[in-house]
Amino acid sequence: MTLTLERIRTDIADCLGEEPADIPVDENLVDYGLDSVRIMALLERWRREHGVQADFADLAEQPAIEAWAPLLGVA
Amino acid sequence: MTITLATETELPLTAAQSGMWYAQALDPLSPAQNTAECLEIDGPLDPDLFATALRRVTAEAEALRVRVADTPEGPRQYLREAVELPLLVQEMSTVAEAEAWMRADLAEPCDLATGPLFRHALFHVGEDRWLWYQRIHHLVMDGFGYSLLVRRTAEAYTALVRGEEPGPRTFGRLADLVVDDATYRSSETFAADRAHWSRAFADRPEAPRLAGRGALPSRTFHRRTAHVSPETTQRLRELAARLRATWPDLLIAAQALYTSRATAQSDVVLGLPMMGRMGSVALRVPGMVMNVLPLRLTVSPDATFAELVRQVVLGIREVRRHQRYRYEDIRRDLGLLGENRGLVGPLVNIMPFDYGVDFAGAPARARNLSAGPVDDLTVNIYDRADGRGLRIDHDGNPALYGEGELAAHQARFLHLVDRLADTDPQLPLAVHTVATPAEQALVLDEFNRTDRALPPTTLIGPIEAQAARTPDAVALVYGGTSLTYAELNARANQLAWHLQSLGARAGAVVAVSVPRSVELIVSLLAVVKAGAAYLPLDPDYPPQRLTYMLEDAAPVCAITDRAGRLPEDTGTPLVALDGLDVSMYPPVNPARALTPRHPAYVIYTSGSTGRPKGVVVPHGAIDNRLRWMQHEYGLTPGDRVLQKTPSSFDVSVWEFFWPLREGAALVLAEPGGHKDPAYLARLIREQAVTTCHFVPSMLQVFLAEPDAAACTDRLRRVFCSGEALPRETANAFGRTLPGVELHNLYGPTEAAVDVTYHACAPEGSGPVPIGRPVWNTRLYVLDAALQPCPPGVPGELYLAGVQLADGYLRRAELTATRFVADPIGPAGSRMYRTGDLARWTGKGEVEYLGRTDHQVKLRGQRIELGEIEASLAAQPGVDGACALVREDRLVGYVTGMADPAAVRAALARELPEHMVPAAVVALDVFPLSPSGKLERRELPDPVFAGGARKRPPASPREEALTGLFAQVLGVEEVGPDDAFFDLGGTSLLAVRLVTRVREDFGVELTIGSLFEAPTPAALAARLDAAGPASGDALDVVLPLRAEGTRPPLFAFHPAGGISWCYAGLTARLGPGQPVYGIQARGLVGDEPLPRTLQEEAEDYVERIREVQPQGPYRLLGWSVGGVLAHTVAVLLQEAGEEVQLLALLDAFPAEQWRERPAPEEGDALTAVLRMAGFERTDERDRDDVLATLRRAGSPLAGLSDHTLSRIVDIVPNHARMMREHRHRRYDGDLLFFTAAAPRPEHWLTREAWRPHVSGVIVNHDLDCTHPQLMRARHLDDIAAHLAARLKEFDA
Repeated sequence: MTLTLERIRTDIADCLGEEPADIPVDENLVDYGLDSVRIMALLERWRREHGVQADFADLAEQPAIEAWAPLLGVA
Repeated sequence: MTITLATETELPLTAAQSGMWYAQALDPLSPAQNTAECLEIDGPLDPDLFATALRRVTAEAEALRVRVADTPEGPRQYLREAVELPLLVQEMSTVAEAEAWMRADLAEPCDLATGPLFRHALFHVGEDRWLWYQRIHHLVMDGFGYSLLVRRTAEAYTALVRGEEPGPRTFGRLADLVVDDATYRSSETFAADRAHWSRAFADRPEAPRLAGRGALPSRTFHRRTAHVSPETTQRLRELAARLRATWPDLLIAAQALYTSRATAQSDVVLGLPMMGRMGSVALRVPGMVMNVLPLRLTVSPDATFAELVRQVVLGIREVRRHQRYRYEDIRRDLGLLGENRGLVGPLVNIMPFDYGVDFAGAPARARNLSAGPVDDLTVNIYDRADGRGLRIDHDGNPALYGEGELAAHQARFLHLVDRLADTDPQLPLAVHTVATPAEQALVLDEFNRTDRALPPTTLIGPIEAQAARTPDAVALVYGGTSLTYAELNARANQLAWHLQSLGARAGAVVAVSVPRSVELIVSLLAVVKAGAAYLPLDPDYPPQRLTYMLEDAAPVCAITDRAGRLPEDTGTPLVALDGLDVSMYPPVNPARALTPRHPAYVIYTSGSTGRPKGVVVPHGAIDNRLRWMQHEYGLTPGDRVLQKTPSSFDVSVWEFFWPLREGAALVLAEPGGHKDPAYLARLIREQAVTTCHFVPSMLQVFLAEPDAAACTDRLRRVFCSGEALPRETANAFGRTLPGVELHNLYGPTEAAVDVTYHACAPEGSGPVPIGRPVWNTRLYVLDAALQPCPPGVPGELYLAGVQLADGYLRRAELTATRFVADPIGPAGSRMYRTGDLARWTGKGEVEYLGRTDHQVKLRGQRIELGEIEASLAAQPGVDGACALVREDRLVGYVTGMADPAAVRAALARELPEHMVPAAVVALDVFPLSPSGKLERRELPDPVFAGGARKRPPASPREEALTGLFAQVLGVEEVGPDDAFFDLGGTSLLAVRLVTRVREDFGVELTIGSLFEAPTPAALAARLDAAGPASGDALDVVLPLRAEGTRPPLFAFHPAGGISWCYAGLTARLGPGQPVYGIQARGLVGDEPLPRTLQEEAEDYVERIREVQPQGPYRLLGWSVGGVLAHTVAVLLQEAGEEVQLLALLDAFPAEQWRERPAPEEGDALTAVLRMAGFERTDERDRDDVLATLRRAGSPLAGLSDHTLSRIVDIVPNHARMMREHRHRRYDGDLLFFTAAAPRPEHWLTREAWRPHVSGVIVNHDLDCTHPQLMRARHLDDIAAHLAARLKEFDA
């Protein structure tokens, strides 16, 4: 099952303790509390559930939903 | 591979690297910045292919190939194209052997300037078992960098084993980091980040230190490793998920909770090492990027763990937004660097980096060996996904933590994490304790085993029983009077009957306001015998306060020694002992229905709201206290106990009653005598006192008394209490009074005098404990959640047991806030909250650490600053008020229109002497912190200065004393009529002053005489009367200091004829060196003036021989005095005497003056000014000159008209005689001091002395004019040279 933009947003909001509506797709997620532990947790989950191939550095280098979408196989 | 000496690329250091570089530069030989990891690889490994892989990684990772050197432009890094791989491959028989090698390697400092800054080793330690060690200097690599290196090495090796070419290089370049750093530092973000941190920590909070203090980083660290079990780790993860947080957030919250409780601080700043690479090119660069950022949290026992975790999540989010700003820069911005102050307490270093690597199928497990320097305490937490839970390394700075302390912190932390993982996160944090169960059992039960069954008795019962047993023994000694037990008992009984007739009975209060005397003891006994509680009223208290206490306590009557002692309009019937006849009453013990629960005494203490409060202590409490004391110290009938503590201070209770319960004798000191150490030493010796008490500050004063040491004969034990006993004082006691026991006791009035005790060892070290609990007493050291603190952890001291007071008289609400339910003891029991900060030692003793509130102790007296502040604020014209203690002195600060001197005077009328501020300072506004709180630290130091109506000193002695006062008190200026204690003098400073007087004047002076003669003028008069140095200040021979065994120094007057100017030399030359001034004849009477200098000098020789009949002689003179000194020296030598020293201060021989015009009358005034150290400027006449002298505070301003008119004659006479004088040759060397500033008489030269001196002229230039030579600064220099010279002679 492939990831959708909404799924990504929901998962991120979940691990940050925020509402999905409060997470913009074009902003630096670090400002919203995203850190390496959370990225790894998300990555682990997405690898397991969605077969994602990206690695930690890929995601951590540009921590924004828009930048992640192509890396995570979202069309 | 060989070293390719290719060109190096020079790069600046990033800010992160600079921080490391400077830290290393502070201690270049320190290996503390070596970081290292060890990877355990389980499986077959090909060492050659491994080396190939490492070479490839070294070629790819630029940071490994740099060296760092200092240049004039600052440190630079030089990147080499290639370096030889420092790799050791070795067989090791055991893992331990390999680890020993690693430890040794880690202890080797790195040479930054040559490099390489890393090293590898590969140990084969068994079948298919390898250890890969890599050590890298922290300046070039951080923890995340290690993870990049390891993953790439595993990747390359795996490819090589498979015969494949490893994938292309993935690392970014070092230059990228440098550019990235420079870009950031010139960006707007940088400025915004800086503003953020400056704002967030503007109040510069105190870093929470688990060790209670900070220290410089050491070269090594202690490490203790433990694991959080997989089960607990799992529960933590689940709890984190429920709280929408991560497990690191939970562990950080746990550490915040632990730190808060372990440091007794609610404001906690933790340090968070951050990898600092999110959203940056640095993600792909192995290098040094990490940063430590402060996370500030408020930990309250009322908040829940869930709330604390949320605070952590939001706090870290905020931190991340500004995470690139360097920690060193934050400290610099806050001004903490200069103070060498940290901002953060423990570091929590979370290492979540994914290490799931393998080497061609052989799994590897990484273990950190060193994470870099440890300033304080670092908690490293690793999640290496190997199924063993979390690994936790506690790294501690050895300067702050021993192995045991580190282990204790770790055990408690793990225990707390366990509890938190298992507890509902919605419960308040107060449910958690940081003590382990074993520690709880220790501090609550083990240390408090004090149960002791005692008979139900009262304070007085045992005294009456003793009186019946030994009626003829001496009970009381006061001066020449002594009373037997029978006599004392009978007198007290008769008065007791009388008091009962006035309504005294069990449960009632009777006030006693009698100065220390036999009558005081009779009165106290009588009150208690009548069944009532006594209320001591210090007769020295201001009427306003006495009125308040009488109205508040409503005693049935008040006993005074005489009429008029107490205010008469309070409605309290007064019983004046003077003229009272109680002979009609029977001398037998009166009947009374008294139980141990009835009050025995009521003592008032300072109240924080501005009203003193009466503490009501029942018989059972004080009886327990005295029974314990007797058991512990065993007073015998042969003992004699000194009573010197004022009755309003509860220490007096045991002094009064303990000896009388045991058949010993009570020796009373005179009223006021408790302040005079010389008197006390005499009394102790003459009255063979065996037992007495001192407040520590008074003990210090007492030990400085020369006669104190003579008390060892009979003195057996000394008790200290009332304030913290400094170790230096305890050790000084051991030296001065060897063989005498010193016991440190502690307790508030609210718990029957003392509740803890500690016997001081003669040569102890560290803080003196207040000790362990007395009988039937429990001590609790509790944290903010009222949970017990483990040993070593500071908390508030609570007291429980039978010695607790009933509470505060008629203050139920206040009583309820201080005497609270005891959650630990038997149901229904109470505990008293002391407000004292304390901690348990591991041995079950308590150490006192300070106050939790604004209560202070001054000379043993308890003072609530709130009470002083309320009194200040109540004065007309005062808008705001604040009080604090500065260097042992109470200081008040006020805003508003009020005159501070008037405010202080008003307080002196309302408050007891010890509560009156030494100074009141008026401020325009109070300094406030950004949060609007009063910044006590920013309040200015008070300027203690003499009064406005200052007159100049009237004699050299007065002048010298004003100088001494000023020095000892640390004030600018003191007038002769300023009182020592008004200028902020304390008993400690008094000791210093007395010592100085002894040294400078050779006169013994007691502290007591300073109380009687507290001004320089009064003291000078006393010294003149007492000291051998007395004499008229204008006599030919002026003994500036007559005492001393060395040959005296004779100092000859300048042109004006007065030699007071040399008074300053006395103190500077130190004790043992007598100094005499030689002054001109005719200053006082109408003696004819000398006709020639020769005649004058001959006269002086005779005077000198009266003081010192034979040589060696020491002579000195300034100006004309120098010419005289030379002449006298020649005369003495011609008489066959030895002259050791001839010192001339800017003096020139006769022929230099001969051709110059003699001064006119007006120049006499110039000479007077010069004697005081001034050049004449626009002073036209005598009045102008006197005005100048007065302004300058010169004693010469006090000269009579007659003397001044004589000086007007003496000056020109000297000028004439000097021009006529013919020098003869002095056989010896000349010590010369030149006033080297340019002068109008430019022709003057010391070389002119050559023909008149056989030896050498040793000269010292002083940067001043001729008159300035006598000023303090230059006298210092002159005296230093003189002293050195004199020392040679004395040797």
